[in-house]
Amino acid sequence: MKHIRTIKEPVLRQKPSETGCGECQASCQSACKTSCTVANQKCEKK
Amino acid sequence: MIHCFTCNGAHLLLDADSGAVHVVDALVKDLVPYYTEGDPEAAAQALASSYPPGEVAAAWDELETLEKSGALNADYGYGEAYLKRPGVVKSLCLNVSHDCNLRCAYCFASTGDFGGERLLMPQATASAAIDFLVARSGGRKQLEVDFFGGEPLMNWDVVKNTVAYGRAREKEAGKRIRFTITTNALAIDDEKIDFIKREMANVVISLDGRKEVHDAVRKTPSGKGSYDLIIDGARALAKALDGREHYVRGTYTALNTDFSKDVLALADLGFTQLSVEPVVTRDERFALMMGDLPRIRLEYERLAREYVRRRKTGEWLNFFHFMLDLDDAPCVAKRLIGCGAGNEYVAATPNGDIYPCHQFVGEDAFIMGNVHEGRFDEAMQRRFAGLNILKKPACRDCWAKYFCCGGCAANAWKMNKDLYAPDRMSCEVFKAHLECALWVYASERSLPFPGEDGDKMQTNVEDYPGG
Ligand code: SF4
Ligand code: SF4
Ligand code: SF4
Repeated sequence: MKHIRTIKEPVLRQKPSETGCGECQASCQSACKTSCTVANQKCEKK
Repeated sequence: MIHCFTCNGAHLLLDADSGAVHVVDALVKDLVPYYTEGDPEAAAQALASSYPPGEVAAAWDELETLEKSGALNADYGYGEAYLKRPGVVKSLCLNVSHDCNLRCAYCFASTGDFGGERLLMPQATASAAIDFLVARSGGRKQLEVDFFGGEPLMNWDVVKNTVAYGRAREKEAGKRIRFTITTNALAIDDEKIDFIKREMANVVISLDGRKEVHDAVRKTPSGKGSYDLIIDGARALAKALDGREHYVRGTYTALNTDFSKDVLALADLGFTQLSVEPVVTRDERFALMMGDLPRIRLEYERLAREYVRRRKTGEWLNFFHFMLDLDDAPCVAKRLIGCGAGNEYVAATPNGDIYPCHQFVGEDAFIMGNVHEGRFDEAMQRRFAGLNILKKPACRDCWAKYFCCGGCAANAWKMNKDLYAPDRMSCEVFKAHLECALWVYASERSLPFPGEDGDKMQTNVEDYPGG
């Protein structure tokens, strides 16, 4: 493509049964706790 | 849902559901609104004078090809079926000290006492809180306990004994507790550093940046700036944690909207794991206003440029909000719900009261129970579990929703008295640093701009007016 360059391919659609095991770290979006916001987190299952 | 934006001169296109990210040229950037409307004729007309004939149609075709391949306007149908049942508490904030050895002017905890008495948590309460967590954690194996305050180092023996108690309980229960701590570093010493290094999985050190910025707000009880008192301890602690998870975090306020200088001042001191966060307050001296947004946005862009430059030239640093792991990111169930306050995560105060999270402490209407009495308000837990991006009107149509996950419930309450109405200023700041994070992601892959014959993205701070 001339006008568009993909730098991150789509991720696969997840099924409800594949998600939400809950073993990853709790997150906090707030200013006072930079422990973790979801965007910076990793999945424990991977 | 797609979002096309410009950051540091580059145009990027994010596809919300699929998580695909594209770098596009100016033509596509101009074309996207028409593409979203599905109106090629209007696009051809409007853009004819700006771009060579044929190019508009060609770019349109590229967008269509992308959409067919699933990398644009993907609709994954993430809805209610992905929400998990509430009922498990797996993460606990232990406010071991409702007292602080500093009096920071913007402190959300009213300088440590949360608007109440200055209290230290007795060991019996801390141990009961661990028991509560283990008992409520169902089948979950990984639990978390964060020592928080006020200032947790003011109740050091309880921190140590609670870790020992937790280590014993986790074995019996077949679980694993991940301990973390947040400190202002004022009372740090070698013994504490050793212990923290051994036992804590993450450490947050509060430090605002440049000395004058820090001293203007982070004061001792006698009103003096605390920078000189904490800086050596903070450096020693961070040095001991080199290569391990920790963050030096600052707060920026209306007094330092040029906060990129604070991040870089910290980097110049040798700190490598950095974060700054916008203050959320109604205090007019410090509050950030919508009018500050353009300046804040430019500041993140400026920081992003210098960030990429330094990392490329071997001056390693991590800025929390620029770290995006687009490959191993959390699952959609997690993304719909976000922080889990009041559901999977709760906070306990020195007298054992349980709140949905540390930021709700002191709001009487939100007391969920007490660790001594084993009382826990499951109806309130369900109420908090229902706070997800599907239910918040502002979030449903927000392009950033799978990264932000619905914002902070405590801020929503503080600013709007409505758990479902995120604080708009926080949203805008979040979106500003997310766009910059995506730019950093693109830049660090060093990909040429489309349509510009392989020109590398500009990442050199000197090349920008006003650097
Ligand atoms: S560990 Fe992974 S799958 Fe489990 S809830 Fe967290 S992100 Fe989702
Ligand atoms: S809280 Fe704000 S930024 Fe976050 S998803 Fe909701 S509307 Fe978007
Ligand atoms: S409500 Fe806000 S402060 Fe509380 S855990 Fe969630 S994001 Fe953090």
